[in-house]
Amino acid sequence: MDIYFCLRQPLEMVDSKRMKTSSNFQWLLSSFILLCLMNQVNSQKKGAPHDLKCITNNLKVWDCSWKAPSGRDTLYEVCIENRFNSCYRSEKTNTKIPALLPGDHEISINPIHNHSSISKFILNEENISLIPDTPEILNLTADFSTSALHIKWNDKGSAFPHHSNVTWQIEILRKKKMEIVTLMTHNTTLNGKDTLHHWSWTSDMPLECVTHYVRMRCYIDDLHFSGHKEWSDWSPVKNISWSPDYQPKVFPEDKVVLVGSDVTVCCVIQEKVILAQFGKEKCSLIHLDGENVAIKIYNISVSPTSGTNVVFTTDTNLVGTVIFAGYPPDIPQKLNCETRDLKEIICTWNPGRPTGLLGPHNTSYTLFESFSGKNVTFKRAEDPADISYQLFFQMIPNWEIYNFTLNARNPLGQSESTILVNITKRAVYPHTPTSFKVKDTNSTAVSLSWYLQGNFAKMHLLCQVEITKSNSVQELRNVTVKGVEDSSYFVVVGKLSPYTNYTFRIRCSTETFWKWSSWTIEKQHLTTEAIPSKGPDTWREWSSDGKNLIIYWKPLPINEANGRILSYNVSCSSDEETQSLSEIPDRQHKAEIQLDKNDYIISVVAKNSVGSSPPSKIASMEIPNEDDLKIEQAVGMGNGIFLSWNYDPNMTCDYVIKWCNSSRPGPCLMDWKKVPSNSTEAVIESDQFRPGVRYNFFLYGCRNQGYQLLRSIMGYIEELAPIVAPNFTVEDTSADSILVKWEDIPVEELRGFLRGYLFYFGKGERGTSKMRGLGPETGHSDIKVKNITDISQKTLKIADLQGKTSYRLVLRAYTDGGIGPEKSMYVVTKENSVGLIIAILIPVAVAVIVGVVTSILCYRKREWIKETFYPDIPNPENCKALQFQKSVCEGNSALTLEMNPCTPNNVEVLETRTVVPKIEDTEIVSPVAEHPEDSSEAEPENHVVVSYCPPIIEEEIPNPVADEAGGTSQVIYIDVQSMYQPQAKPEEQENDPVGGSGYKPQMHLPVSSPVEDGTAEDDLDDTAGYRPQANVSTWHLVSPDSPRSTDSNSEVVSFGSPCSINSRQFLLPPKDEDSPKSTGGGWSFTNFFQNKPND
Amino acid sequence: MNELIHRQDQEFGADLWFPLPAPLCLLTLLLPPLSSAAPISPAKPISQAYSLALYMQKNTSTLLQTYLQYQGSPFSDPGFSAPELQLSSLPSAAVSFKIWHALEDAERLSRAQGAFLALTQHLQLVGDDQTDLNPDSPILLAQLRAARLRAQGLLGNMAAIMTALGLPIPPEEDTLGLVRFGASAFERKCRGYVVTREYGHWTDRAVRDLALLKAKYPE
Repeated sequence: MDIYFCLRQPLEMVDSKRMKTSSNFQWLLSSFILLCLMNQVNSQKKGAPHDLKCITNNLKVWDCSWKAPSGRDTLYEVCIENRFNSCYRSEKTNTKIPALLPGDHEISINPIHNHSSISKFILNEENISLIPDTPEILNLTADFSTSALHIKWNDKGSAFPHHSNVTWQIEILRKKKMEIVTLMTHNTTLNGKDTLHHWSWTSDMPLECVTHYVRMRCYIDDLHFSGHKEWSDWSPVKNISWSPDYQPKVFPEDKVVLVGSDVTVCCVIQEKVILAQFGKEKCSLIHLDGENVAIKIYNISVSPTSGTNVVFTTDTNLVGTVIFAGYPPDIPQKLNCETRDLKEIICTWNPGRPTGLLGPHNTSYTLFESFSGKNVTFKRAEDPADISYQLFFQMIPNWEIYNFTLNARNPLGQSESTILVNITKRAVYPHTPTSFKVKDTNSTAVSLSWYLQGNFAKMHLLCQVEITKSNSVQELRNVTVKGVEDSSYFVVVGKLSPYTNYTFRIRCSTETFWKWSSWTIEKQHLTTEAIPSKGPDTWREWSSDGKNLIIYWKPLPINEANGRILSYNVSCSSDEETQSLSEIPDRQHKAEIQLDKNDYIISVVAKNSVGSSPPSKIASMEIPNEDDLKIEQAVGMGNGIFLSWNYDPNMTCDYVIKWCNSSRPGPCLMDWKKVPSNSTEAVIESDQFRPGVRYNFFLYGCRNQGYQLLRSIMGYIEELAPIVAPNFTVEDTSADSILVKWEDIPVEELRGFLRGYLFYFGKGERGTSKMRGLGPETGHSDIKVKNITDISQKTLKIADLQGKTSYRLVLRAYTDGGIGPEKSMYVVTKENSVGLIIAILIPVAVAVIVGVVTSILCYRKREWIKETFYPDIPNPENCKALQFQKSVCEGNSALTLEMNPCTPNNVEVLETRTVVPKIEDTEIVSPVAEHPEDSSEAEPENHVVVSYCPPIIEEEIPNPVADEAGGTSQVIYIDVQSMYQPQAKPEEQENDPVGGSGYKPQMHLPVSSPVEDGTAEDDLDDTAGYRPQANVSTWHLVSPDSPRSTDSNSEVVSFGSPCSINSRQFLLPPKDEDSPKSTGGGWSFTNFFQNKPND
Repeated sequence: MNELIHRQDQEFGADLWFPLPAPLCLLTLLLPPLSSAAPISPAKPISQAYSLALYMQKNTSTLLQTYLQYQGSPFSDPGFSAPELQLSSLPSAAVSFKIWHALEDAERLSRAQGAFLALTQHLQLVGDDQTDLNPDSPILLAQLRAARLRAQGLLGNMAAIMTALGLPIPPEEDTLGLVRFGASAFERKCRGYVVTREYGHWTDRAVRDLALLKAKYPE
């Protein structure tokens, strides 16, 4: 062992020298430290070695050093006492000894050739420090494109006796100032061999922009070593830098990053950068060595299509780079693989979330089939708008199960989706069959052929035929055919109807159904003809003259004709003879044959190009009916009419209902309908039916080809209101009744079953609006309505009417469909003759009685009358004129004719011949008669009398009194008639038969006067014509020039004397308070007329 | 990159020049009888070229704006302009008025012809670049394609003018030379910008060139 140690040590020394040339320096350093320590010991022990310290770097050899007095070269002998005197000589103050076992060991250091004393130390492993050799970076390389640093070093594990864990510390520094970027640890184990280690680090900062430095150290954690363990020294620094062009550059170039990550972009430039921009956003600059700058972008968002620009601007230049931020590909969704022809598999998928990366960074897809190991790559379509994600994979012969993996990859990552398909069972989606053709087989079958691309040789095809009959009825039939490769297929489709238009189309699938192909295009096909399956529906009618039998038949429906009917054959056969009509063309559906009334059987046969139908037979004669048939009434349901009948077991063939429009001439046949013999009801519908038209329906039952009339029905499809009113006339009129008679409404105009009449009557004259709106709805209370529900009634007597009154009569007919229009008439009832006679007789009788009584009275009082009215000597007291004068002009009670104060000047009398119209004032007469003697009350009467204006001046009667007066005053009549108009009375005209000529109103004067004057009757004749003119003389008398009035008639004349002759007005205002009411009325009225012209 | 291309161009061009004279001599021998037989008036091709140039001028700003719009900020920012960006392979249209005016017709036409030749090639390159960068922008790609075809049309018209004027037609050179296919996206965006911008400038210049010629050779 000793020898071994002895021999080993130099060897190891050599080894270590060879291997650790670089660590010599450390060795020297540690030796120096030990020396210092030994010196310290020596100084304590007066020159003896002291301060022994041992370290190890490989646990095999301890490197011990001590301190010794300096300045002298001495040879030391180091002995380990309790070993076998293993001693080592050293010329220095250190020596290497093999590692000692755990426990205390005495070490003696004996300086030889020196008189110093021997130093002894106790050495234990626990006092030993394990300081690994300084590691060395063998290789530092950089991948600029990925900004990665790769470090390679040797752990020199062979120097270690046993396995130990090693911790490596690697420090990255940046910039010339060696700023620490990161310090990372890396753990390995020593396995007794020299092992190369690799370690990589990716820089956030592109390596091009700034120099990166790397150094490392290690720490060995040996479990068997009980001493101190310490970090090795740092390895020498290695750096990596990029030699720039003279052109400015920005890094990284075209980098693709994940959305949300942080990116550092730097610019290698010789100029000063003024501005850095990331997209639209300005960034703060991180200054690197020289003018180089960097910016840091945090949480980057998705880039636009052409990437996000990072631009550095200097005074004279613009440099930049583009960052593409996006997502790794989504897992392909809805991956589906199927085949259309069993030659090629088509896999389709949905790419899922967009990656935001296009162009060269777009996602690439690879479809990999794991059983065969084949793959296909997705090639993007040229047109970016038309991206269908699908891949075609050629099928492997006889291979059914495929395991596909679709791999999606882009610069940010990859994803995949898998699908396992049994291609023949669950993934055949055949192409659309082509060359689809239809060919006739027979009249009820066709053969279909089509071509289907694909290799279906080892399976059956399930195809579906869609048969559409006449564009309405659809039928689907499944057919199975044996598959072949790229070939045509045939099937026969039967159970079709002859001569029918069909539309066919087809689609296919495999028997193990997965998907139907698309339908082929539709093919129309008309099946061939067959013989008509039935004879035509036949009926017959005898012609109007009963000589000919008209045979009718209906064209066969298309499903029975089985082709185009070319002609009909009709034959009539009896026991004796047979008549036949053949080749009746198709458009003709009736034939006429002259027959006698024998029983014939008529048979009709339809023919098409294939053959003839079975004959339809009908007997020529009806089976007579035993009972008399009643004509029934029926009303339909708007579009048809419902008929029902009792079941009759005798009727063996069928029932026929025929109908016709009742108002049409000719044989009654519009149409007929056959109903099976087991039916008991039928709904007759026809497009020809019109509401409001009466139809006759006849129900026949069939028995041995003969028909028997069972029922006869008259009906409407829908009842309407009558279109006309019944024509009515007045048959008779009396004073209190009218007899009205009306006629029936024709059936065509009735438009329904007549249900009754409505008769309205009420007072009314032609042209008045009172009766205009007659009818129940108008609600006139004086209009009476009579509802005549007995439709057989044709007359009506209206009683309790008033005589000689105009009545309006209205008549309307109604059906269940409504009330028809009205027809009206005015009738005046006759006069009631008895009443008239009574009405005439009573007044006549009364008049006679009054006349007789008056005559008697007059006769009895004739003396008194004479005295009063016509005295022989006139009594002035009776003169009203005098009273008048007094009261007006003088106002005193003296009854003298003193006229002085009352001086008329000029009386203008205007002459006019106009006849004064009827005047109606009745008040004029009566007061005079009642108060003949009341002078004070005579004033109004006087006024009235004055107001009579003499219209006819020519009749002026020359007055001798006037002549006597001498002084003439000019009298001018003015137009005053108008003032008097209201004062005339119409009755006076009638009462005065004489006064018809000239001026009539004056006639009242005699009427008024005879009451008191007994000579009234005589005077009447005298005064006929113009009376007032007689008064002119009195006017002259009362003029100022002739104040005297002596005329006997002065009482009358004096009325006309106005106070002022010049005045055109009456100058007698009602001064007197006692003047009666009539006076005031008279004045106001005349004033009214008089003032008008003055205005 | 541009420098590189430029250098390559020159070398290539130099190589191209020397083998040419012999065939050219042959051509010149052949051409005179043809041209003398059918002397063509230059007015018509000048007028045609002028019309085309005017038409192109209307679309140049649209092309530039569309192009910039698709390149992202700061290119798409309103008022973006980077006159410092140039392409060594593309002659600049900027010229002092004095020099331009003093140019002979032949020289003027030759320069414009050279420029449009370079532009057609560059527009093809830009179109390819944009197919990568903006594959989903058919409007931009269509406008670039249209601009290239018009530039080619103008080239043809210019050749007709030169023929009519009896000027030699310069041979078609490869102005691009070896394109750096690995150009970064930013470089591609920039060169596209320069090409579309210069296309506008050269069209403006061509309009003036042709207007001058039109005045000299009225119809």
